[in-house]
Amino acid sequence: MLFKPQEITGRSWLKEFAQAPSVLVFDDYVRVYFSCRPLPDQSGQYTSYSAYVDLNRDNLFEIMNVSESPILELGELGTFDEFGTYPVSVIRTENDIRAYYGGWTRCESIPFTVAIGVAISHDNGESFTKLGKGPVLSCNIDDPFVLSGPKIRRFNGRWYLWYVAGTEWLENEGKPDAVYKIRMATSEDGINWVRDGRNIIESRIEDNECQASPDVFFHNNKYHMFFCYKYSLNFRKNDRGYRIGYAVSDDMENWTRDDTKVGIDISKEGWDDQSIAYPHVFELDGEIYMLYLGNEVGRYGFGLAQLEGNLS
Amino acid sequence: MKWKKLGQIFNPINHSLPNNCVEFSQSPQALVFDNFIRIYFSTRVKDKVGKYLSHISYVDMDKGLRNVLGVSANTVIELGSLGCFDEHGIFPMNVVRDKDKILAYTTGWNRRVSVSTDASIGLAISSDDGVTFEKVGKGPVLSSSLHEPFLVGDAFVSIYEGVYHMWYIHGTKWASIVSENNPDRVYKIAHASSNDGLNWNRDNHQIISDRLNTDECQALPTVVFFDDKYHMFFCYRYATDFRKNKNRAYRIGYAFSSDLVNWTRDDENVGIDVTQGEWDSDMLCYPHVFRCDDKIYMLYNGNEFGRFGFGVAELER
Repeated sequence: MLFKPQEITGRSWLKEFAQAPSVLVFDDYVRVYFSCRPLPDQSGQYTSYSAYVDLNRDNLFEIMNVSESPILELGELGTFDEFGTYPVSVIRTENDIRAYYGGWTRCESIPFTVAIGVAISHDNGESFTKLGKGPVLSCNIDDPFVLSGPKIRRFNGRWYLWYVAGTEWLENEGKPDAVYKIRMATSEDGINWVRDGRNIIESRIEDNECQASPDVFFHNNKYHMFFCYKYSLNFRKNDRGYRIGYAVSDDMENWTRDDTKVGIDISKEGWDDQSIAYPHVFELDGEIYMLYLGNEVGRYGFGLAQLEGNLS
Repeated sequence: MKWKKLGQIFNPINHSLPNNCVEFSQSPQALVFDNFIRIYFSTRVKDKVGKYLSHISYVDMDKGLRNVLGVSANTVIELGSLGCFDEHGIFPMNVVRDKDKILAYTTGWNRRVSVSTDASIGLAISSDDGVTFEKVGKGPVLSSSLHEPFLVGDAFVSIYEGVYHMWYIHGTKWASIVSENNPDRVYKIAHASSNDGLNWNRDNHQIISDRLNTDECQALPTVVFFDDKYHMFFCYRYATDFRKNKNRAYRIGYAFSSDLVNWTRDDENVGIDVTQGEWDSDMLCYPHVFRCDDKIYMLYNGNEFGRFGFGVAELER
């Protein structure tokens, strides 16, 4: 257990949840972006914000700093990110730092929909300005709704965005739940994206398996994807919730799923004894680490694991 | 330019429409056949929560636009499934012949919470002369983007020299008016082009200048070529107090262009206005201009956004 939002004070927008960690490494510290929430409103509805915590590079369990305010403002009336900015994935470019994030709005027949926005920082990632009022990746013919969970990467000069797209809303007796699958988009500039609507990771536990957090890490000449998956219905506070899965690829197009190699599972007891979710893998000073969420998808924060052995 | 009004030609009250729709025939759009004209329109039914769903129907009329030959007997295009962009209505639908197929560009509506609704543009194809249409996918072909944040709709597509041109509208802001309960929106006319009718490149700028003020709402562009120029008709209104105040309600505007890029707004020459004491005394909206044999017609709605049907005018040249 690395970071617990309930221990942070003086920030009304950071009361619960520290979801979808994503790192940016600095000389002396590791900045971990995450998404958090104020207490719910009178009708029990949440909004979500994104923020960061700086960890001592020599001792990741030492918190040096927590952002004073959210890194992104919520969108204005009627925009795609009016009610939330979650999750966020951050990358350095030649001149600046960019954040890709899920923007949330509320709907009538379904509880919400999500589209992917982009924002830019010129102050080392302390704050971000949106490139427009609308999303950079919105629904299209093959991605009809709920585009979320962006993970931004650059390999060989090209931009890659792994994300999830909703494929179906299940009625679920008046409380609809979405089914979503991992997909990939490519781009020359990070703004104009090409998509093909293909589910790149096969489903394992059921046809309606929900997949999220497609975190891609290049190592030993292969692309390694850690992600999380769960059942589509009745998955809260039981053993149908998120687990971490694994797939490997030589070319980023064709992926072989092999969850037996993932090397991490729920704990026997503790903060991550019911579900584990939203993995993010990074290398630091010769070691490979995974940040991930525990029970209730990060309500009580995120933890750290270290790779023993090899990614091959 | 001068339009001669031929009067109201269709009232939905007088017909039995599929999907139990009883009122409204909005945004009439024509598909011309050898012996008749098929006119698509959006009509409405109330759902179980008491809100409207818009459905597409059509009426077939003789080429003189005087006599109704029949109305659609069955569903023309299905609304979207749970969570889809067109779950709560399709309004309007623009049809264009493309080789042996008929393309339909739909505006699909879905309900929101903080604002009433959002919209995106879908594509469907008919291979049975426009009796039914199949969507090419569950999602839209044109939706919100970085600089067009919401309410993308009202597509009108024409093919000129092999290039697909789409004129459409997108929202620029939702404004909360203190005196009214629900936020109102502002939207503007834009243009995109395509080589296949499926993948679109947007110009990303407003193409028709404002006349009333910067919050002017512009809707339903329709373009026709004659006399060596492209002519665009559309409707426009004030952003607020436009439903019952006839002086702030929709009127038809006009612009022309010689290159499909630069448009000159020229409402003085639109040649059509409201008529006192008639079905279109307070409002003119949702124009659709088309060619039939040697004539050019404008279909349009009158008072109350087409609750009582649509009419037609003929261009006098």
